[in-house]
Amino acid sequence: MRRLPLMFVCGALVFFLGVDAVILGEVGHGGFWWSHVYGFFSLFGFLGCVATILASKFFGKKWLERRENYYDPKGLHE
Amino acid sequence: MSNVPPAVVLLCGALLLPLLPRWARSLAFLLFSVVTLALLLRLEEGSSTSLRFLAFDLVPMQVDRLSLAFGYVFVLITFLGGIYSIYLQDTGQQVAALIYAGSSLGVLFAGDLFTLFVYWELMAVASAFLVLARRTERSRRAGTRYLLVHLFGGSVLLAGILWHFTDTGSLLFDRFDYGPAAYLILFSFSLNGAIPPLHAWLADAYPEGTITGSVFLSAFTTKTAVYVLARGFAGWDFLVWAGVIMAIYGVVFAVLENDIRRLLAYHIISQVGYMVTAVGLGTEAAINGATAHAFSHILYKGLLFMGAGAVLYSTNRSKLTELGGLARAMPVALSLYMVGAFSISGFPLFSGFVSKSLVLQAAELRHEETVVLLLYLAAVGTFLHTGLKLPYFIWFGPQRDLKPGPIPWSMYAGMVLTAGMNVAIGLYPRLLYDLMPFTVDYRPYTTSHVMETIQLLTFTGLGFWFLIDKLGGKPTITLDFDWFYRKPAPFFFRVTVVLVDSLFTAAEVRTLNLARALAKACANPAQFASRFLPQSNARGGWGLDDAKVFYDPNRYRHPVGFAILVVLSCFVLLLAWNLFLG
Repeated sequence: MRRLPLMFVCGALVFFLGVDAVILGEVGHGGFWWSHVYGFFSLFGFLGCVATILASKFFGKKWLERRENYYDPKGLHE
Repeated sequence: MSNVPPAVVLLCGALLLPLLPRWARSLAFLLFSVVTLALLLRLEEGSSTSLRFLAFDLVPMQVDRLSLAFGYVFVLITFLGGIYSIYLQDTGQQVAALIYAGSSLGVLFAGDLFTLFVYWELMAVASAFLVLARRTERSRRAGTRYLLVHLFGGSVLLAGILWHFTDTGSLLFDRFDYGPAAYLILFSFSLNGAIPPLHAWLADAYPEGTITGSVFLSAFTTKTAVYVLARGFAGWDFLVWAGVIMAIYGVVFAVLENDIRRLLAYHIISQVGYMVTAVGLGTEAAINGATAHAFSHILYKGLLFMGAGAVLYSTNRSKLTELGGLARAMPVALSLYMVGAFSISGFPLFSGFVSKSLVLQAAELRHEETVVLLLYLAAVGTFLHTGLKLPYFIWFGPQRDLKPGPIPWSMYAGMVLTAGMNVAIGLYPRLLYDLMPFTVDYRPYTTSHVMETIQLLTFTGLGFWFLIDKLGGKPTITLDFDWFYRKPAPFFFRVTVVLVDSLFTAAEVRTLNLARALAKACANPAQFASRFLPQSNARGGWGLDDAKVFYDPNRYRHPVGFAILVVLSCFVLLLAWNLFLG
């Protein structure tokens, strides 16, 4: 697996948490409880991305993926 | 002049185009779009035209801010698509695109359901041609399926309209009340809007369209559906969740796709989900959101299809498993594609940012917490695929030593202009907001909103980086709801065509055999009859033995005079009957 330099990830996280600390003290991101949680959108972005990929791959492997000639097994319509 | 329906210019243009010299057709295409835009700008809000047709009062044109906002972007993409396709010397496609754009405009300004239906069907046929015009066996089949699905949708729409007319006695296109007629019409609109499970035609047909055809396809059908939903079904709660499901559904399927244009097609479904949700919310802010997002979606999705089309044009490939390492050969196409990718992902400074946030704000104002969260999740998936996965695996990723051919200047020109519009809207949201049906009192560029978006997308990028190995293309296809009509299709073909055909053939063969046997028998009836009769002997017989040897038909034929005598006798009898007994 390729890895981003750990420094970059940590730096971004610290930066966003810092920004949230300033913003959330004043206005917040919106009207819901989670929009007042520090770093919520960072966490949501990361977990949402991982969950989307893993869930889709699961559905794909389990039910949805088929060979390319599934609808035309004899290659009559290529 | 201000009463001329804008659709007429494009439809008349489609009739005129084939009569022009070949070199002038692309320019004429642009000219028709410009004239239509000029007409649109002269239309007065609130104006309408009425017409008495048979026993019906029709309103072929009705103008308001909602239809105008959609109208502007439809004409813009017609013009931009026209520039992109200047290189194309295919009159059929140009005519089809003009009819498609014209009929879509016709739907926007239709004030009654009959006019809407006529343009609706015209749209289906013209758009199907843009798939068929690729002239491959796959596109022929996909185009036929597309046409059949849409004609079915059109039939349901007609049924709904007739039912609605029977119930209310009115054909005016207004907000519908709950009831069977409205459900039928909603079904048809949902089919064009690609709401699951009625969406499979989109991912099936759009990737098989021609390079330029898919640019137009990505713009009109689903967005006219959003428009008619906004006009007829705003505030129907069902649409809120239908839209959310669409937004997530498209993203999930996009993970599995190998074909770049099919992946983009799934993202149309996802993005239209935002609009459908907004229509379902039904507030003024939400209708503004749906309209604004449709506007910017047409521009950025057009740009993305242009970018994918450029890749297909220069490499003749559209599968992730066959693409890679093109960045050095196609840096300009990559940059322009990325403008579309940032726009669809909702990056600050790009069009998607200022329109998507209108939808999210509308949901927030209605305190739809789960809806907002799920739409954020869809935004994550959108950036993951369109902003990261596609560009990485097309332009970077595995090196496949491809030698892409040159791309026509018109393609670049179309992409540059479309990209420029996406950036302009991102930088000056008022350009977009001032066109909305209701006053927009929203500022997208607040520190809080910008920062939450950057956080969301940066960490989506991190997730992509961690799982990049799982995201490469695989030479597979993904089953979708079209399975339900594609898989049984051979069976239905056998039952409805092959079986019926063989029954007809068998009946025909037997009829011919019977006729042949009868002809043979009648050629010598005596001989035929003698087969079944006893032979002559001492006690007598039928005296037909000689017939086996020799048969002269003239011997048994009556003279013509005999037939005339019979006919005349009949006349005399009839006359006598009338005179004496009648």
